[in-house]
Parts: sequence; C-alpha cells; structure tokens
Amino acid sequence: MSGKEFFVARYEKLGWKFEDVEQRQAIRVNAINAEEEAVTKRLRSLGIELKKIPFLENGYWISKSKFSVGATSEYLLGLYSIQEAAAQIPATLFTDPRDRIVLDACAAPGGKTVQLADSMQNTGVIIALDVEKRRLAALCNHLERCRVKNTIVYHMDARHASKLKSSFDRILLDVPCSGNFVTDEYWFKKRTVKDVKRNARLQRQILAEATKVLKNDGEIVYATCSLEPEENELNIDWAMKNLNLQTEKVKCHGEKALTSVFGKNLDSSIEHCRRIWPGQTQGFFVCKLKKRGLAQ
Amino acid sequence: MKQIKDFVSRFQTRISLNKNLIARRGDRYFLLNDYFKRLISEDFFCAGTYLGKTMRGKFFPSFNLLRLIAAKKANKVIVDKKTEWLFICGRDIFRKGITEMVGSKKKGNYTLILNRHGECLGFGKTLCNLDKVKGKVAIKNISDIGDFLRRER
Repeated sequence: MSGKEFFVARYEKLGWKFEDVEQRQAIRVNAINAEEEAVTKRLRSLGIELKKIPFLENGYWISKSKFSVGATSEYLLGLYSIQEAAAQIPATLFTDPRDRIVLDACAAPGGKTVQLADSMQNTGVIIALDVEKRRLAALCNHLERCRVKNTIVYHMDARHASKLKSSFDRILLDVPCSGNFVTDEYWFKKRTVKDVKRNARLQRQILAEATKVLKNDGEIVYATCSLEPEENELNIDWAMKNLNLQTEKVKCHGEKALTSVFGKNLDSSIEHCRRIWPGQTQGFFVCKLKKRGLAQ
Repeated sequence: MKQIKDFVSRFQTRISLNKNLIARRGDRYFLLNDYFKRLISEDFFCAGTYLGKTMRGKFFPSFNLLRLIAAKKANKVIVDKKTEWLFICGRDIFRKGITEMVGSKKKGNYTLILNRHGECLGFGKTLCNLDKVKGKVAIKNISDIGDFLRRER
C-alpha cells in the first residue's frame, strides 16, 4: 500500500482532488528583535520581493529574490526566520502565552521554538526537547541567532517528558510525522501506509505523555505536516476517547477537519481542528486540545 | 567567569554578570535568571543566554555576549554597507570602510563591528592605530555572524 496512485486515491476519498503544488518560501519577522516594517523595507531595498501572507501576523512569502534569503545580514542578525507559511500557524494558537511555562516537545530545528519565544516576548520559560542529539546544536544556533533567552533545551525523547517533574501551561506537539509531497519530491516513492501507522503510534505515545504533564487548565497544540488521517483526525479521536482531552475551536487558515474517515464516523467536535490541503501552503493539520470538562 | 571578564575588558569596558546565575555545561557558559535557576536540571543541553565557550584555555564569545558588550560604552566601529557584507563573509576591515569609531583606536585592542543600524556583526582586533592608518587592513576579523552559516556546514 504505497505509491502515488494509492495515496492520490486516498486523498480523493477524503474529499481532495490531487494537484501538484510547488512549495513557496516564506519568512516570519521576529517581532521581538525588529519592527516588521523596518525589516521588510530593508529586505525590499536588497531587491527581495515580499508578499504579505494574509492569514499570518508576521509572515511573508518570498516572491522573488536573486540570492538566498538565508544569507542576508538581516537573517544572520535574527530579524527574521525562514519558516513555511503553514508551519507558522501552530505557535499562534495558544491563548496568552506570556509568562507561562511552555513545553516544546519535539523542538528541533527550532523554528517554532523561536516563534514561541517571540510571542512570549522572551518571558516565562520554554522547555524544548528533542530526541536527536545532532539536531540540538542546530536548535541552539537558531536560538542564539534569534536572541532567544527564555529556553532550556534538553536531549530527551518527548515520550519521557514526565521525567522533567514539571507541569506545563502550554504544550506544543509538533510531532514527528510522515510529511507530505509538497516538501519532499520523493515522498510518494518512499512512503507506505506502514510508515504512516508507525508514526501514528509514536504520535499517540507523545500525546499520552504530554497529557500527563499538562496542567488542568493547560492547552496542547498538536500539529503535523502529514495529510494522512491516521496521524491527524484518527489520532485526535483516539486522544479524546482515551486521554480525556477535548478539542477547542481555533481561528486560523484551513478547512474544518474530517469527521468521517474511510467510512468511520469520528467525534463531531473534531471539526474544530484544521486540515490544510496543499495549495497556498504545504499540507498541514493543527488542533488545540484541553482537558475534558475544562475546555471552553 | 574570569575568562568572560578578561575577554570583556579587552573592549575597554566591563559588564556586570551575577556569578550565581552563570551555569556551566562542559566548556560552555550560560546566563540564567532566578526562575531558570530553580527549574533547570544539570543535564541541560543549552539554556538562557549562551555566553560563550572555552577551548584550550581560550574564551570564544557568543554573539549574545558581544551584543551585551555593544550595549555598553566599549570599543566599536561602524562600517558601511559594502564592508558589512565583506565582514560577514569573513574578510578583514579596511580603514576606508569605517564610518565612525567609538572608544580606543589603539593597535592591539579588540573592537566590536557594527553596521549602520547599530547592530553587532562580530568583533576584530585592531592591527594599527585607527587614527593614522590609510589604505590597508585596519581590523582583523576574529568572529562574525556569518559563522551561523559556517557552523551548519
């Protein structure tokens, strides 16, 4: 069960007609380090053409640039980060993150960690974990470049987060996933349903651990860049039934998530989650969760 | 701590860092706050504000530390746009690329390199008296923000 035809047929069953989508490069201005207008003015003076992303506060698509936007002084000074448009959504969904204790459970290479620090204005604390040690150096470089100072990084598997002996107000679960064809040209050649199911199991374990360390009034934002329902709606349905979690309404780009998947009916509140089919952005799924009985 | 202080003094300035809030992990130093201090466990990978590292007894500052120094009255030069680009590509600085100087201009001192927006690009060593030199390399590049790209290679 693999190959382009197989997956394209699955997407059609889920209600999306396949189209080839080219990835659009995007940046996010680090508002804590610079005024958005000043940064865009400087970039435009270098001949970089920018287009404001309508559904994001500090995001811009790069329409045209003669050189890499990852090699300007402004980038090296941490005035902006290169971050795909859909990937800029999850960190914006937390309610009032300032002065909170936040867990970024699968943090490397750190794009969303920096964004969280930016939205927290370097207050409170972010505990950032990643299981791959070689990715931690890149994460710490990213934090240094973007002048982040409210983060503690540990080499730790998110499935062991309770070893931290802390509980968290906000938890970002940008979980390892199967990805999607927009960001990987060989995606259809290498991915199988077996991979998807393996990732879905790992994601459930991470969700379960995160629920253990979530404060009673805390919030989890769960995100993947996978289009496969096993990693998205089906996992959230499982979490609602097994972890006593409930979805929260979010206002962001994307469609209501699916409440019926391959003939299986899911909890109707899963429509609060957002499924982003490839188009303006890569494929993405995002969801906000709270402990049941405390959700608003 | 002494190594940090000694390094900072080469810019003819000093910064006050609370010794109790500096955490060491291997050869790397980090500046924490009281909240972090209570929360952190000793197996952290990095935390708070990374200040720099020592290697074979020599201190290598982070860009965070350079920014802290740049906020003080320290040796610094402001360079033009072309020189800014060459500097972050690892090149040394010629006198003609310097538009403004603050602090000591003497040979042998360390000086911060700032762009026209006042942002710290790195630091270098003054190779000759900046008041007198003409048409040759004035500041040797020791560390620049282009390092963020070189580290990833």
